[in-house]
Amino acid sequence: MARLQEFVLRRPESIEEAVGQLAAEPEARVISGGTALIANLRLGLGSPAALISLERVSGMDRIEVSAKEMRFGAGVTVARLATDDAVRAKLPALAAAALTVAGPSHRSVATIGGNLCLDTRCVYYNQNETWRSSNGYCLKYRGDICHVAPQGKRCHAAYSGDLAPVLLVLQAGIAVAGAAGVRRMPLAGLYQEDGAHHLTLAQGEFVSEVSVPLPAAGMRVAYRKARVRGAIDFPLAGVAMALRMSEGRVAELHVALTGTNSQPMLLTGTEECRGASVDEALADKVGKLVQRQASPQRTTVTTSNYRRQVATAYARRLILELAAAN
Amino acid sequence: MSEILSPKPMGATIAAHPVGRRQPLIDGIEKVTGRARYTADLAATQALTGVILPSPHAHAEIVSIDVSRARALPGVRAVITGDDCDVPFGILPIARNEYPLARGKVLYWGEAVAAVAADDEQTALAALALIEVEYRLLPVYTHAAEARAPDAVLLHANKPGNMEREVSNSFGDVDAGFAAADLVREESFHYAEVAHGQIEPDCAVAEFEPSSGRLTVQSVSQVPYYVHLTISECLKMDPADVRVIKPFVGGGFGHRTETLPFEVTAALLARAARGAVKLQLSRAETFTIHRARPETDIRLKIGMKKSGEITAVEAEVVQRGGASAGYGIITILYAGALLHTLYRMPAVRYRGFRVYTNTPPCGPMRGHGGVDMRHAFESLMDMMAATFGLDAFAVRRANLFVAPYQTMNELKVSTCELAACLDWVEEASGWRSRKGKLPRGRGLGVACSHFISGAAKPVHWTGEPHATVNLRLDFDGSITLLTGAADIGQGSSTLLAQIAAEVLGLELSRFRVIAGDSALTPKDNGSYSSRVSLMVGNAALAAAEELKRQLVAAAAKRLEVGVEEVECLGEAYLVTGTDRMASYRDVVKSALEVTGPLTARGTYTVPLELQGGKYRGAGVGPSPAYSYAASVVEVSVDEDTGEIKVEKMWVAQDCGVAINPLSVEGQVQGSVWMGMGQALCEETEFMDGRPMRGNLLDYRVPTIVESPPIEVKIIKAYEPNGPMGAKEASESSLGSIPPALAAAVAEAIGVRLPGLPLSPDRVLAAIQARRRDERLKSALGGAS
Amino acid sequence: MKRLVSLWLNGKRREDAVADNLLLIDYVRETAALTGTKCGCDGGECGACTVLIDGEPRLACMTLTATCDGKRVETIEGLAVGGTLSSLQQAFHEKLGTQCGFCTPGMIMAAEALLRRNASPSEETIREALSGNLCRCTGYVKIIESVKAACEP
Ligand SMILES: Cc1cc2nc3c(=O)[nH]c(=O)nc-3n(C[C@H](O)[C@H](O)[C@H](O)COP(=O)(O)OP(=O)(O)OC[C@H]3O[C@@H](n4cnc5c(N)ncnc54)[C@H](O)[C@@H]3O)c2cc1C
Ligand code: SF4
Ligand code: FES
Ligand code: FES
Repeated sequence: MARLQEFVLRRPESIEEAVGQLAAEPEARVISGGTALIANLRLGLGSPAALISLERVSGMDRIEVSAKEMRFGAGVTVARLATDDAVRAKLPALAAAALTVAGPSHRSVATIGGNLCLDTRCVYYNQNETWRSSNGYCLKYRGDICHVAPQGKRCHAAYSGDLAPVLLVLQAGIAVAGAAGVRRMPLAGLYQEDGAHHLTLAQGEFVSEVSVPLPAAGMRVAYRKARVRGAIDFPLAGVAMALRMSEGRVAELHVALTGTNSQPMLLTGTEECRGASVDEALADKVGKLVQRQASPQRTTVTTSNYRRQVATAYARRLILELAAAN
Repeated sequence: MSEILSPKPMGATIAAHPVGRRQPLIDGIEKVTGRARYTADLAATQALTGVILPSPHAHAEIVSIDVSRARALPGVRAVITGDDCDVPFGILPIARNEYPLARGKVLYWGEAVAAVAADDEQTALAALALIEVEYRLLPVYTHAAEARAPDAVLLHANKPGNMEREVSNSFGDVDAGFAAADLVREESFHYAEVAHGQIEPDCAVAEFEPSSGRLTVQSVSQVPYYVHLTISECLKMDPADVRVIKPFVGGGFGHRTETLPFEVTAALLARAARGAVKLQLSRAETFTIHRARPETDIRLKIGMKKSGEITAVEAEVVQRGGASAGYGIITILYAGALLHTLYRMPAVRYRGFRVYTNTPPCGPMRGHGGVDMRHAFESLMDMMAATFGLDAFAVRRANLFVAPYQTMNELKVSTCELAACLDWVEEASGWRSRKGKLPRGRGLGVACSHFISGAAKPVHWTGEPHATVNLRLDFDGSITLLTGAADIGQGSSTLLAQIAAEVLGLELSRFRVIAGDSALTPKDNGSYSSRVSLMVGNAALAAAEELKRQLVAAAAKRLEVGVEEVECLGEAYLVTGTDRMASYRDVVKSALEVTGPLTARGTYTVPLELQGGKYRGAGVGPSPAYSYAASVVEVSVDEDTGEIKVEKMWVAQDCGVAINPLSVEGQVQGSVWMGMGQALCEETEFMDGRPMRGNLLDYRVPTIVESPPIEVKIIKAYEPNGPMGAKEASESSLGSIPPALAAAVAEAIGVRLPGLPLSPDRVLAAIQARRRDERLKSALGGAS
Repeated sequence: MKRLVSLWLNGKRREDAVADNLLLIDYVRETAALTGTKCGCDGGECGACTVLIDGEPRLACMTLTATCDGKRVETIEGLAVGGTLSSLQQAFHEKLGTQCGFCTPGMIMAAEALLRRNASPSEETIREALSGNLCRCTGYVKIIESVKAACEP
């Protein structure tokens, strides 16, 4: 069995303590549920000297509801997102997306923070040490070329978390804790399009909170995930959409993707759909937006072309379905 | 070794009838409580940790290996390389070209190059890192066509063209058959390689006893006897000094039929380290051991009359066999031989090519050799039937034979209830009222399949009986059934106990089964080719009858009557027509009085006339009995995403008498479900020889979510060659599912895909191609 | 680094010096010698190692033992109280919810977590709760039947 290499586990009880420990040990990594991190460590991806567990940090597991928003400590489990009554009532699409993450024994401990900060994935990367070393490693870790796009200079590993797209269309914000205190920003600001460095967090920072404004009246939100099996599988592509109609026309539209790029991303250009009536032509237009902005690469065993097509198909379908539900 | 207890009986004076009853597994309690010990669970606290150095290249010469630094590391007890074993092994005596550790060349990525035994895992891994190997790279052949290219480097010097075996045979007048047909059609199909995916990773524990020079190996084997033979050969040991024990085994499906290189390596390490070694493989390494269904290309030509009757068949099969011979010759022969035994086949020409490639060795997998061909055959049959406007059931019925039936390739089918199977699935699925009337995106498909009940010619010809079972009876009145046949989850120990108990009229609680310990159990050819129910079952039946004769004789003596007057009621022996009787316990006492504890032996040998013809390759195909199945699958397909949902599967199984209907259902459900996985989403994949799907995320074993309800009907039947009328019940149904599912998908989307799996990307591509076609046609139509 | 970890394993309190990097699956199988919990994959993909931690289904192969300090860990060995099979164990035995038995401990533990939450789950809920547990033998049909049977009074 591939045992874990040695590290020191720290279990701080407050944000300040965690920040302090991270600052003291540059080689430290944050661990929440560990369902993604331990899998990677078992493959020999990374060799942190210390793991700073956020499990005991006070307040990390709280869910708060106000008239304007819901706030989640970054340690709220994915299982709770799926089953919590308030989430199901106020943010049903988030609860539904949570239910598509991995399997029940992952979700019981996997966290919203860990899900948002999930490492990117690639068939040349999520392999054991033997495999990667026999392939000369790659840009993302220990190597200097990318096997997916050998001409390019960047990594195209795909971000494959299921929660981010829904949170993006809901205009969620996050709080980031670091040595300089807590800063707040839109969730979209957490990411950048680089598979080797897809998070904008500075060394020693971590996500401490996710806040989701309650959707405006009439806003319909949904998430569709393409995968081969009905559970366990990461999204080959995932599409979240938020649509508000007014007098039969689009008043507000947000679309976000996962699984197709190195970051989960809000599509640009959706505002051009404002005022349009929802019909096949609009569906085509939304489909085109997806097709143009999604850029899946050969990072999964399933073809990139399929991932693009299925994302397009889901987006087309979602807008018609959501409009019909309105 | 597994020793098993089941609940106590009630004292009964009517004979018990365990056969035909829905009998929970005799070792089920161990499994549900976690007490069952699998190889990885053996308390081997003293054991050293074994690890393997895998080849980082798929094809290379080994220029040099330096293990001196590894050997010098404190805590390292043994380091071995190809130099430590120069005896090649392989399941077929005529095709042995695999070494436990590579010698001179590596032929696939991950092939074992060296192995280390050390005090702990950390030390062992540190030692691996100190081994220096210099390789000279050779071209890598991932597909059969590349390896067959005229200038390709040979993997095995004595195999020109990298051809492991070329088969060519012809039965009946094929050309006349095609000439007599109303339609002759030829199609090509491509099948991805699949894997067994048993949930237990591979593991072996070997213990060498320096003072006696003896070796005990415990392993995940389906055939402990082969392990015994191979290890004594490879280690040049007297087989008498080797003991092989099979603990609980977490599934096999063919993965563990031949002796696997790590089993020999564990033994080599134990001897070199003069102690005990545990060699636990990871999931990734287990995938690399492989031995499953090869990537296959099939070109198939069928001649058919308007009535649906098939007049001739021509098939050409190319299998990517992987790096060593293994079962390859048998697999490529089965692909041809099993063409004959499902439908009436007047003329068949078959060409098969088994090719060496730089991929892990393939081997037998559930439905050995027949599954991909069955998909091609049933699919082409459907396409041709459509041309004549024939229903899928009609075309199959037009080709049924009536058993007893002798095929063109000299196989004798004693019983076949395929007609009844078809009737049931047609009825149960509502075929007649629903086929062709389903909404868009939905479809129904039907197909048939079959399998042997054990190969009539054992792989290792010794002249011995094909199966032996011993029953031991001691003073306590308990009966221990001793068999070399490995229960790997298929329930064979339960079935054997049921048969013996039925003969003796006893409850199962009087029985213990010890399966697979060479020090205790008679040698057995193992759990493969679905041979256990029929062959070992017949041996158990014979042993029980022998024991019963002895008990009846003892009862007669005790009751002072002739043996013909004694009736065995299990817990009592009665003088017929009177109320005089002796209890089982008393009869046992009498029986043991003179001889002491009894051992009754039963054997089974396949009758000579069922052992097949004399032509080259005739040894593959013959069986004492063939089992049959028909399935209907219903699917819905999402035209926008290519995703298939299997709504339901109906399966009718002819397995003769179901000794344990509960187990038969379970086996059939598991088998057809595995066929579904192959049809939907399972495939291996290699890039420059490196496995791209060596884990359970990318090798997509279906989850419970997408697994449909499966309705199983056991067709009433009786197989005279089987024990109490039984024949095999686990492999025969698998092959029907991929073609039935594919036919259902074809109805749902209006096009048929030329192969498997029907992964969403492939299905979507097919739908889009169809749409392009339609657009083109309508454009052309509009222009004209 | 090693630390003293105390936890309840199948209701019994234990205290062990445990390395920070020790996975719970190795603690359960090797330190505590409870080999009922199985390992079927290289990390998080098969569910064979499912145990309960404070009543929740968790993968022992993805859990650091040190994080279980003060928690209740339950394995398959803890289910048969006083030697009497639990209703799930009984049902898996009688309905053939187990064939080779290798997925069975994890499967039963995942089902146990479900039944403690929901005494009469729908078939869909059963599928959902067992969706992270792979079985290669049964086709799942008899597993679902077993869980249903265990819910019958
Ligand atoms: C077999 C398998 C299937 C899976 N399928 C899916 C799937 O379908 N969909 C899906 O979305 N995920 C899937 N996952 C991944 C994972 O289980 C989930 O994404 C989970 O939500 C991660 O949360 P965690 O708390 O366990 O993260 P961890 O494993 O603890 O952490 C993940 C990463 O985020 C970092 N991190 C953790 N918390 C924080 C924080 N608060 N701030 C900053 N960085 C942080 C860690 O350093 C690490 O790099 C799967 C995993 C496995 C093993
Ligand atoms: S995309 Fe390229 S650089 Fe990134 S993980 Fe894959 S192979 Fe490595
Ligand atoms: S062993 Fe496979 S998920 Fe834990
Ligand atoms: S019973 Fe064998 S894996 Fe489930």
